[in-house]
Amino acid sequence: MWFFRSPEIIFGEDSLSFLKDLRINRCLVITDNFLLKSGLLDKLFRNLPESSKRMVIGDISPEPTFREMTGRIEEIRKFNPDYVIGFGGGSSMDTSKILFALNERPDLDVYDITPLVPLGLRKKSRLIAIPTTSGTGSECSWAAVLSEEGEKRKSELASPEILPDYAILDPDLVVSLPKEQTKNTAADALTHAIEGYVSSWNNPFSDAMSEKAIDLISSNIETVLKDPENIDARNSVHIGASMAGLSFSNSQIGLAHALGHSLGAYFKLAHGKTVALFLPNVIDFNYNVSAQKFEKLNSIVPERYRKKKFSDTLRGLFRSMGVEGSIEECGITRKEFEQNLDGLVSLASESTGCLTNPRESSTSDIRELFRNSYARLR
Amino acid sequence: MAKFPSDEWVKEYMDKLNSNADYQDAGSKWEGAITFVILKDDTFKDDAYIYLDLYHGKCREARFSNSLTDLPKSEFKYIGSYGNWRRLIDGEIDPIKGILTGKFKLEGAMMKIMRYTRAAKEMVNTASKVQSEF
Repeated sequence: MWFFRSPEIIFGEDSLSFLKDLRINRCLVITDNFLLKSGLLDKLFRNLPESSKRMVIGDISPEPTFREMTGRIEEIRKFNPDYVIGFGGGSSMDTSKILFALNERPDLDVYDITPLVPLGLRKKSRLIAIPTTSGTGSECSWAAVLSEEGEKRKSELASPEILPDYAILDPDLVVSLPKEQTKNTAADALTHAIEGYVSSWNNPFSDAMSEKAIDLISSNIETVLKDPENIDARNSVHIGASMAGLSFSNSQIGLAHALGHSLGAYFKLAHGKTVALFLPNVIDFNYNVSAQKFEKLNSIVPERYRKKKFSDTLRGLFRSMGVEGSIEECGITRKEFEQNLDGLVSLASESTGCLTNPRESSTSDIRELFRNSYARLR
Repeated sequence: MAKFPSDEWVKEYMDKLNSNADYQDAGSKWEGAITFVILKDDTFKDDAYIYLDLYHGKCREARFSNSLTDLPKSEFKYIGSYGNWRRLIDGEIDPIKGILTGKFKLEGAMMKIMRYTRAAKEMVNTASKVQSEF
């Protein structure tokens, strides 16, 4: 027995107008400072029912800690929202999931947001996720990442009950996404799709999502990077990113995420950048246990990128996107890397990505993957 | 062959766990005891308990009993019916998926155990290596 869980997905141009059809009385919006000042938030407000009361939390940082996330929790409880909207990138949507849970259950220990504990949510409100980047997949996942205060650690919280009720994929919200974020989030989405596809928990539903996600993203990302306002290409990548989110959310992640989370926590690097730089080497590590699946994926990527080995195909695709291919290219010196290697290995070993990676990995395997990823394969 | 669950099975399991290099690697920082709770069902008439004191990749003590009160308290309990334990040991159920699908229940500090899923997997892999009689 297994499940395939998904929010109700509203996609395509003008999909934000779906909000007008909901009976939203008291709406909590979680977003970041950049979006708060940009015109994008106005687009959201124009689509909320006029009579709805609004509370905005607009200071979510890229890597929020529990204290940052919950600074206004008492105010939220007094406001008593019937809808919680995460509007932004992964950090805003992840924060909305955690605040949604903590508003419903004031007694809840945040670390009890695991798949192992029934939470009993949705007594007070519903959760809507509206991504303004194309990559994290948070709008379609039941995971939330929390940075630990004063620690080089990110906790992976997850529960089917924090899966959003609605995911709204409006391409108008991503046409102005800067190039750096566009490429990093697309690399993140490709990593979700590939790791979800070969995860030991993969299933026919997640496989279908991965295959289509890789098709949509790899066929359109070049156009998006050259012509950011191409709405059709943006729409394809945006939908592909959510399909990748649906894949990994229902089949889980692998070692590229385990190592990427660890590197990101130590050196404060963008998530998409860190997971993508490990992915080709992780594919080589996993190749013999998932060879057929990797060959299938290789046949999906457009021919102009295709090499004999899927890992080489990805190296070329990422290079063409301008994604860093090694730890060194992320600006980390060999000395800094070696000084932190034990901690990096230890933290990566604790990730649930080790559990569902198709090939079992020892601490020494993880150490070797880190070492092999320091410099780009020539 | 050792009958599951029994003193004999627990002793063999402890020996195999302590000689499993993969478990020692995955559980090298783990400190805490866990009790396996085997609940009676149609094919197994009394509840049974296996207490494991686990410390830095080693099992320091393992005990079997039909009474929980006979055993030291543990930080975690992993609970399932006899039939599901049999399927787990036979490799038909993944230990974490078993919880997500309601076949097993886990009691204890969730965040701690979620950091040691590799160790949990190795504990189940080790159980599969015991020549078990059901």
